[in-house]
Amino acid sequence: MSVTRVKLRDFLVTPSTNVYLVLVILVLVFSVFSPQYRFSDPDNIEILLSIGLEFSILALGVGLLMICGEFDLSVGSILVFSAYVFLKLFETGINPFLSLLIVLGVGALLGLTNALITVKGQIPSFVTTLGTMMFWRGFTLLLSGGKQSPCDVSISPAFLTMLNGKIGNIPVQTIWFVAFAIILGIILHFHRFGNWIYATGDNQEAARAMGINTNLVKIICFMIVGVLCAFVACSQISRTACFTSRAGEGWEFKAVAASVIGGTSLLGGIGSMGGIFAGALIISIIENGLVVMRIPYSWTYVVFGLVILFSVFSNAFVQKQSRG
Amino acid sequence: MKNSSESKFFTYRVINTLIMFIALVIVFSLFTPRNIFISVRNLASLGKLVPDLGVVALGIGILMVCGEFDLSISSTLPLCSYIFASALFGGLSPVWGFVLALLSGLALGFINGLIVVKTRMPSFIITLGTMMFWKGILYVWSRMMPTSIRTFIPTDSLFQKVLTGSIGPFFPVQTIWFVAFAIVLGIILHFHRFGNWIYATGDNQEAARAMGINTNLVKIICFMIVGVLCAFAGCMQSVRLGSFAATQGVGSELRAMAACVIGGTSLRGGIGSMMGVFLGILTLHILDNGLVLMRVPVFGVNAFIGLATIFFVLLNSYLDRKIK
Amino acid sequence: MNENQNRQPLVRMVNIHKWFGRVYALRGVDFEVGQGETVGLIGDNGAGKSTLIKILSGYHRADRGEIYFEEHKVNITSPRDSRRLGIETVYQEQALAGDLSIARNIFMGREPVKNLGILDRKKMDEESMKALEELGLHLKSPNLPVKTLSGGERQGVAISRALLFEAKLIIMDEPTVALSVKEVREVLEFIRKLQKERIAVIFITHNLYHVFDVADRFVVMARGKKMADVKKEEISLDELSELVVKSALVE
Repeated sequence: MSVTRVKLRDFLVTPSTNVYLVLVILVLVFSVFSPQYRFSDPDNIEILLSIGLEFSILALGVGLLMICGEFDLSVGSILVFSAYVFLKLFETGINPFLSLLIVLGVGALLGLTNALITVKGQIPSFVTTLGTMMFWRGFTLLLSGGKQSPCDVSISPAFLTMLNGKIGNIPVQTIWFVAFAIILGIILHFHRFGNWIYATGDNQEAARAMGINTNLVKIICFMIVGVLCAFVACSQISRTACFTSRAGEGWEFKAVAASVIGGTSLLGGIGSMGGIFAGALIISIIENGLVVMRIPYSWTYVVFGLVILFSVFSNAFVQKQSRG
Repeated sequence: MKNSSESKFFTYRVINTLIMFIALVIVFSLFTPRNIFISVRNLASLGKLVPDLGVVALGIGILMVCGEFDLSISSTLPLCSYIFASALFGGLSPVWGFVLALLSGLALGFINGLIVVKTRMPSFIITLGTMMFWKGILYVWSRMMPTSIRTFIPTDSLFQKVLTGSIGPFFPVQTIWFVAFAIVLGIILHFHRFGNWIYATGDNQEAARAMGINTNLVKIICFMIVGVLCAFAGCMQSVRLGSFAATQGVGSELRAMAACVIGGTSLRGGIGSMMGVFLGILTLHILDNGLVLMRVPVFGVNAFIGLATIFFVLLNSYLDRKIK
Repeated sequence: MNENQNRQPLVRMVNIHKWFGRVYALRGVDFEVGQGETVGLIGDNGAGKSTLIKILSGYHRADRGEIYFEEHKVNITSPRDSRRLGIETVYQEQALAGDLSIARNIFMGREPVKNLGILDRKKMDEESMKALEELGLHLKSPNLPVKTLSGGERQGVAISRALLFEAKLIIMDEPTVALSVKEVREVLEFIRKLQKERIAVIFITHNLYHVFDVADRFVVMARGKKMADVKKEEISLDELSELVVKSALVE
C-alpha cells in the first residue's frame, strides 16, 4: 500500500482539482491553437456562454440523477416534446410566461413517467429511457409532421430577455446556468435531501433500511431532469425563434459524458455539483472549440467516446482500489 | 403453472410473443388497404429488409441472456460495411473483402467484451462509449459520403446472388441466411453445452464461476458473435443497396433490444429463447411495416416501438412476480 | 456417531495467512478435517471462516501457508483445482441459477455432451433424478426451474450436485440460514446421509443449535485466528456457546 496509489485514487475521484484543471487546459489549448485565436474572441465567448450553456443546464440534472444511481437517455426527446407543447401553447396565443410554466409542468410529468416505470416496474433506467426516448420523439414527430415551425416570442420582450437576453455583457443563459448549479449544489451538498441522493446511489438497500424513501428520491431526481429539459427547450426555442423536430438529438450521450467527466461515478453515489458544473462546461467548450478550429464535427463523437471510455477505466481503477 | 425451465425453447414468455405476432399478422392482413400486407410483393420486400436488423438482433438476444448489452451495434454495422467497401476499392475481391469485414466485426466485438470483463463496469455505458468512438472514427474516415460499390459487385455475380439474391422470383436469400443463423444460434443456446454456460453466466455469474465456468470468456465470445453478425448484416445490406451509407444501422441498438424484449428476453439475463427473439424480430418488423402500410407516418412508428418495448418489459416483469 | 478410524487427515491447512489490501483477514490459521469427519466451523462475521474455506475451494489464494490433501501438498489456484481434488462447495444463495432447471444446475460447468458439444439431455435428466433420490429428495421433474423449489430443496439440489461428482469433502457455507424449521431438519438429514457415505463435511454457521447435532468436531474462529478446536465428546452445547462468546470478546 503505497502513498502514490492513494494519491492517484484521490486525484481521479475528487472532481475539484482534476476537472477544473482539464477545464483550464482546454480553454488554453483552444485559445492558443484556434486560427486567429478565434476561440477567445468575445463574440465566440458570447456564443459559448449562450448557446453552449443551453446543453449544460440540462447536464446538471442528468448528473444529479446519475449520483442517485439512474440514467436518463430520453432527455433529448423530453426536450423536443416540451418545445412542441410550448409552440402549440404559444400559437394559441397563451401568454409565454404561462406557457413556460405549463411546459415546465409537462417536463416534470415526463420525468415522472420515466421514474414510475423505472421504480415501479423495476426496469433498469437505461432501458426505460431508451423506450421513452423513442416514444416521445416519435410522438412529437407524429404531431408536428416533422416540420419546422416559426415561434417568434419577441412579441413579449420581457420573456425574450429573460431567456435569451444579456445582463451587461453576460448572456442570461450563463446566469441561469450558474443559478441552477448553485441551487442544485446547495441541495446536493448541504441539504438533507442531498444526503438521501448520495445514499440511494451508493447503496440503495442500506438507504432503504435507514428509512429513506429511495423511490421518492429517484422520482424527484427524474422530475428535476424533466423540468430542466423543458426549461432548456423554451430557452432554445426563444433564441432560435423556431421549433425544429430535431432539437436535442444526441444530447443524452453528451449529458452522460458531461457527468462522467465531472467525476460522477457510473455506479452512483459519487459525484459533486462542482464537478458536474465543470463537466457540463467542458463538453460545451469541446464542441465550440472544435468548430472554431474547423475540425469536422465528427471528431466530437470520437472525443466524447474517449471521454466515456476513459471514465469507465478510471471508475474501474478506483473500484479495484477500494476492493483491495 | 410454469413448470418448465426458462432455458427451454418454448416458454410462456414466447407464447405471449407468438400471440402478439399472430394478432398483428391478422390485423394487418385485414386492415391494410387492399390487404397489401400479405401481398407477395410486400412479403418479399419484408424478407429482404427484416434480416438486416434481424441477424444482428439474434446476437443481441444471446448477449442479453448472458447478462450484457451492446449499444455500439449502430456503429459496428456501418463501420464493418465501410471496411468492406474500402477493401473493394483497395482491390480485394468481394470474398476477401467480406472476410476482412467479418474479422473486423469479431475484433470490435472482442474489444467491447474485453473492456466489459476487465473493468466490470456496466456494459451499456461501455458500449455507449465505443459506439460514440467508432461512430466518430467512421464519420471522419468516410467523410460521411455514401459510396457506391456496384462496380465491384455486378448485379449478377455469384457473390451478389449468394448474399442477396432470390430463389425463384420472390424468395429472398437473405431470409434463408436469417433463418439459418437463427437455427444455428438456437441450437447453440438451447442444446449445446456452451448455451448452458451462457444461461448460467447471465442468471448467476457467481454460481457459474464457482462451478468452473469461465464467465469472462463466455461474455467475450457473445460480444464477438454480435460483432461478426453486425459485419455480416452490414455487408449484406450494402450489397443489396449497392452502396455504403454512413446512416446504415441508425437506431438499430434500440430496435434490436426492443425485438429481444418483445421476444421475452429478460433484461437481467438468464432468461430468453431464440424462438422468442426470432418471433420478436418478426413482430417488430411487421409492426413497423404494417403501420407504414396503414399510412401511419413513419415517425409515429418509433413511438410505437418505444411503447411496445416498455409494455413488454413491464408485462414480463409483472408475470414473473405473479408466478413467484 | 461417526467413527474416524483412519488417522490420516483428509485436509490439512497449515499456517494460512491472507491479506485483503490492508485488512489482515487470516492470521496464521491451522485447520484440519479428517476423512469422513463433520467439522463445525463457527465464528462471527469477519472471523475469517468464509475466507478460509474460499482458499480451500480455490476462490482465493493464501498469501502464506500450505495445504495438504491426503497428505500430499497441493496448490489450489482455482475452483477447478479444488473440485478435481474432490472438494465441493455448497454456498448459500450463490450456488444455483434460479431460472435454470435442476438438471442444468446440477451439471453446470460439467455438462455431459454428445458429438460437438451438444447436451446429452437424457443423461442429464436421468442422472440428476438419481442423485436427488440418493439424497432422499423426491422432486417431480429435473426440468423444474430451481427458483420454484423451497429453500431446503434448493440446498438438496446443491448437495446432490456435490455428491454426483464424488466429492470427498463438501463445504457448506451457512446452509441453514433463512430456512424454516422443517427445511432445517431436511438439510441436517442430508448431512447425515453424507456422513453415512463417509464424506467429510465442513459446516460453517453462526447457529450452534443446528451444527451441534451433526458435527464431530468444532473449530471456533475470531478475528482471523483459530480460537478453539474441540471434539464433540469433549464439550457440551452450553460450554461451546460460552466458548464462542468468550472468543469473540478476547482481544
